[in-house]
Amino acid sequence: MAYSGLFQERYTKAVVEPFMKANPGIKVEYFPMPNSAQMLGNLRAQKAAPQADVVIMDVSVSKAATDEKLLNKIDDKVSKNVADLYPNARIPDVDGVAVTFDNLVMLYNTDAVKEAPKSWMDLAKPEFKGKVAIPGMPDIQGLSLVLIMDRARGGTDYLKSVDKGIAALGEIAPNVQTWEPKPEVYVTIISGQATVGAGWNARAQVNTDTSNGKLQAVLPTEGSAFQINTINYVANGPGKDAGARFIDYALSPEAQKAFTESMFYAPTNAKAQISDAAIARTAVKSMDKVIPIDWIALAKVREPIMEQWRRKVIPLSR
Amino acid sequence: MAAPASVAEVRNRRLALVVALIAPIALVNAFGFLVPVLNLARMSFYEVEPTGAMREAFSLATWAKVVADSFYAELIFNSVTVSLGITLLTLVCSYPIALYLHRSSGTWKTILLVLVISPLLTSAVVRTYGWIAILSENGLVNNALAALGLERMRLMFNETGVVIGLTEILMPYMILALLAGFGRLDRQIEEAASTLGAPPLTVFRRIILPLTLPGIALGCLLCFVLAVSSFITPKLLGGGRVFLLATEIYDQAIVTLNWPLAATLSILVLVIFGAALVLYTRALRAIM
Repeated sequence: MAYSGLFQERYTKAVVEPFMKANPGIKVEYFPMPNSAQMLGNLRAQKAAPQADVVIMDVSVSKAATDEKLLNKIDDKVSKNVADLYPNARIPDVDGVAVTFDNLVMLYNTDAVKEAPKSWMDLAKPEFKGKVAIPGMPDIQGLSLVLIMDRARGGTDYLKSVDKGIAALGEIAPNVQTWEPKPEVYVTIISGQATVGAGWNARAQVNTDTSNGKLQAVLPTEGSAFQINTINYVANGPGKDAGARFIDYALSPEAQKAFTESMFYAPTNAKAQISDAAIARTAVKSMDKVIPIDWIALAKVREPIMEQWRRKVIPLSR
Repeated sequence: MAAPASVAEVRNRRLALVVALIAPIALVNAFGFLVPVLNLARMSFYEVEPTGAMREAFSLATWAKVVADSFYAELIFNSVTVSLGITLLTLVCSYPIALYLHRSSGTWKTILLVLVISPLLTSAVVRTYGWIAILSENGLVNNALAALGLERMRLMFNETGVVIGLTEILMPYMILALLAGFGRLDRQIEEAASTLGAPPLTVFRRIILPLTLPGIALGCLLCFVLAVSSFITPKLLGGGRVFLLATEIYDQAIVTLNWPLAATLSILVLVIFGAALVLYTRALRAIM
């Protein structure tokens, strides 16, 4: 069970098909889902008789699934490749491990914006009035933006206060056309309905290629934040060992290389030898710009941040 | 020859027939509606950990939060007022069409009816995207305004967009409900009033309107219920600024994973529907 759309298309080609070729006895069936929460919903509903063996989902959802005892722990016994993962790919108190890293980027339409914007605060410039598209909270893109700006404005501990980040988003808010770009922020910007915004790097890179460069992504000066997708081993799944075999393959340098070069998610296996051209389009070479976020600890303060967002950011955009 | 059945026997047999006829739908309703609603009610008392993990416990925390947090009071008030506004606007837009349809006859009436019903054959998502093409900044309306030398207006990604979109989407339901309730309206009564010297406005106020009140009540009930529970249109045309019960339930269930809160809000929606139904029955009794 994993994401639908572009992710499904590229992951099937880069990882699932080669895995099936190498393991002729195992047939992988891909259950596409639009988001992690729906995957958790499915895991909850199928608790007594799970239908899936492996789930790829967001780390915070993976934590909830761990706490509800829906998963098996992935360790060296499941896959030897776990030892080669970057330290931040193994998350304490989460049964799954990271399979991709992605980061928030600023997007712009090259037809409408001639000079590439450099700072997140460029979104507040008068020329972008009514032209900004940001997936707002409760989506974690809006949340990430609050955290990035909070740090840029001198905030020290986002677990205690994000006032500075909320204030910064309040300055951008009057320019925002939609907090709910549909069907996706990339399409909204490529079509020219909005001209600047925020989105995830991997999907932005693929959309840059498919739109012939009409969409461009930049890593702004204030920095970016990682989003972590974990791979998870469902407890009591129907396929038994086949799940572990697939997880082992998904974490291997070979599969990590293939998927990064196909969709520009940063790899989580340190031994993956990825082409320079592909790695340059991930955040791997600009790690100093990626602010550290503890998504598990953050979950506890997400609700108060959401309340500030509703009371102090949204009204300024009306 | 068999003995003639006694009165009691006939009555028993009739009762058995009624029970047999009602039983299937009662069963379907019990499993398809009652059980899920009871489950939902139970879930509203579960506990949620900050990480999103849900624990099957009995806790009033979610209900206390909904009662104490002014955001939810605003949310309910906003949902009800916006839905009432949409219902009223839908009524105003649909009434003349329904009246005209009621009076027309033959092939013309069939053609018009098909035209009224045809939007229902297209999904609300497609129709909402249609409205995006019309209302967006480079849409039909704004381009026309610009061509006339007027300033562009922000018609969507706000409450205006939601109201316009939902009104159009609910109009077929309103028209059909109005037509269903127009049974008592008779052209001869209007003519009688006119021949007695009533001007058109008086005929409308004192004859047509009172006779069509049952249809109005039915249409309003239907549209209000549909407006409160509508989700796709506010999500697409609201731009993340318009907070309504249905969109909030989606966010809590699908994005923040707070199923107990989503369950609590769903129960509140059911309470609102119950209140609307009570008002409708009272109104109907007063009219008839």
